[in-house]
Amino acid sequence: MSFLIAQSLINGVILGTLYLMMAIGFTLVFGIMRIVNFAHGEFYMIGAFMALIGVTWLGLPYAATLALTVVFAVLLGALVERVVFRPFRSDELSGMIASLGLAMILQNGALIFFGPDPQAFPAMVSGVLRFGDLIIPKSRALTLGIGVVVLIGFYVLLMHTRFGRGLRALVQDQQVAALYGVRLEIMYPLGLGLGIALAAVAGALMAPLFGVSPFIGAAPLLKAFIVVILGGLGSIPGAALAALLLGLIESFTSSFVSASAADIVTFALVVAVLLIRPSGILGRGEA
Amino acid sequence: MSSDLSINGLSVNYGPVEALYDVSFDVPRGQIAALVGSNGAGKSTVLKTICGLVAPSGGEIRVGGEIVTPRPGDALKLGVAMSPEGRRLFPRLSVEENLLMGAYTVSDGAASRDMLSRVFGYFPRLKERRRQMAGSLSGGEQQMAAIGRALMAQPKLLLLDEPSLGIAPIIVAELGKIITEINRDLGMTVLLVEQNANMALSLAETGIVLETGRVTMSGSGRELLASPEIRAAYLGI
Ligand SMILES: Nc1ncnc2c1ncn2[C@@H]1O[C@H](COP(=O)(O)OP(=O)(O)O)[C@@H](O)[C@H]1O
Ligand SMILES: [Mg+2]
Repeated sequence: MSFLIAQSLINGVILGTLYLMMAIGFTLVFGIMRIVNFAHGEFYMIGAFMALIGVTWLGLPYAATLALTVVFAVLLGALVERVVFRPFRSDELSGMIASLGLAMILQNGALIFFGPDPQAFPAMVSGVLRFGDLIIPKSRALTLGIGVVVLIGFYVLLMHTRFGRGLRALVQDQQVAALYGVRLEIMYPLGLGLGIALAAVAGALMAPLFGVSPFIGAAPLLKAFIVVILGGLGSIPGAALAALLLGLIESFTSSFVSASAADIVTFALVVAVLLIRPSGILGRGEA
Repeated sequence: MSSDLSINGLSVNYGPVEALYDVSFDVPRGQIAALVGSNGAGKSTVLKTICGLVAPSGGEIRVGGEIVTPRPGDALKLGVAMSPEGRRLFPRLSVEENLLMGAYTVSDGAASRDMLSRVFGYFPRLKERRRQMAGSLSGGEQQMAAIGRALMAQPKLLLLDEPSLGIAPIIVAELGKIITEINRDLGMTVLLVEQNANMALSLAETGIVLETGRVTMSGSGRELLASPEIRAAYLGI
């Protein structure tokens, strides 16, 4: 029993990390482009395939694969900004429809390229860590560790660097940010690239645990939505709390009840929060 | 006397709306100039054009002798910074982060720290509230932060768009005093745009009156304050 609790706890925290990465990237893209990016989950999927290609096809070390995934995703994001999103900047409806189209292209592209079957991903490390009675598989500890480091790094970049300050200023008032020298033509593609890279890294990190297929993007996208609803759009502490809560609820309910019960509990929570606190647990009502 | 700002035959249209027509005036280096006029006269349009936010349909603007191009960010390189109408702070950045955004392109860190402590010297309340989100400040404090943000760019020419708008009279008087000090201590040229003609003209050496996009009067601040037309039209006396 205590083994099951410990196992659920660590799985819940891992899921929370994943959901937070998805939600932060999603919110960043929304903040910069004012576009609800329905393709966000597909970048998670692409990240997972990138990792698969790097590790099994090219035989690269996992760390190098992760670094390449980030670089590739930032470039891909910049390209997507230029080609797909820029024409619809601030046109919320058309932008959303464009992102749906992009999602279909990416998913079907992956389907043509890799086929529909789930592909196994080799475990990065084997063995377990023991803390007294507590047993944690090393692969899970590694995923969690890297995920937390990426999140902290991203937080520092966004909140404590000149670049991050410029990006946040741009999100709040594009014209005044430009007036003070923020270069929009660089910040838009780079900001979007970073948001998308966060999804891709999440995909690459989770691939060894959950496997890879063209369809794996849908669930993380949905969870990103839920985290944003629960946490309140634009609130990083709110999102962190919501992501952790969601991950823990999901893993405990699936361990002790069933996986479908986990979905029921999750959505019941969303409905309750929307009824009681429409602006989210720690939200301010407006992004 | 050399001019920091020289505007020559400036015309601006917003589609079919003619906002400025053949506007010309100079602001000599180191002076405070007041651009006054009623709502809709085109005052903000003048400032936006100087900053490159709006493209003129005719005429030219020179800052320190260089022609301003209609690209935001370029005016900054020529040493122009603006506190825009309505203040437009970044509401979810802290007060200090808003000030640092003013220095976004200033590469000299020591100079920025020096200016930050000067700004906190002029506006001690900003120092008390430096960690607070700018959106939660009172109107007067927001105006102080907006002026401080412009100062952080270390400009040669400081543009202030209606700093007195929606602010308690006692704070307006305090702001007026500080604008004079900034001009004197830092040697910055100031172009002050105001509907509050009394406040602006009493600070300014030069005054320019704008009506429906045209310059109708100009002279020393004192002369304009004393002129019967101004007194009737803007001071309600
Ligand atoms: N973005 C815009 N589009 C169309 N008309 C505008 C715009 N901005 C200002 N105007 C018009 O230009 C004129 C001058 O406006 P403005 O420069 O804001 O005046 P002021 O600052 O003196 O109140 C007004 O008639 C205003 O309605
Ligand atoms: Mg105005």
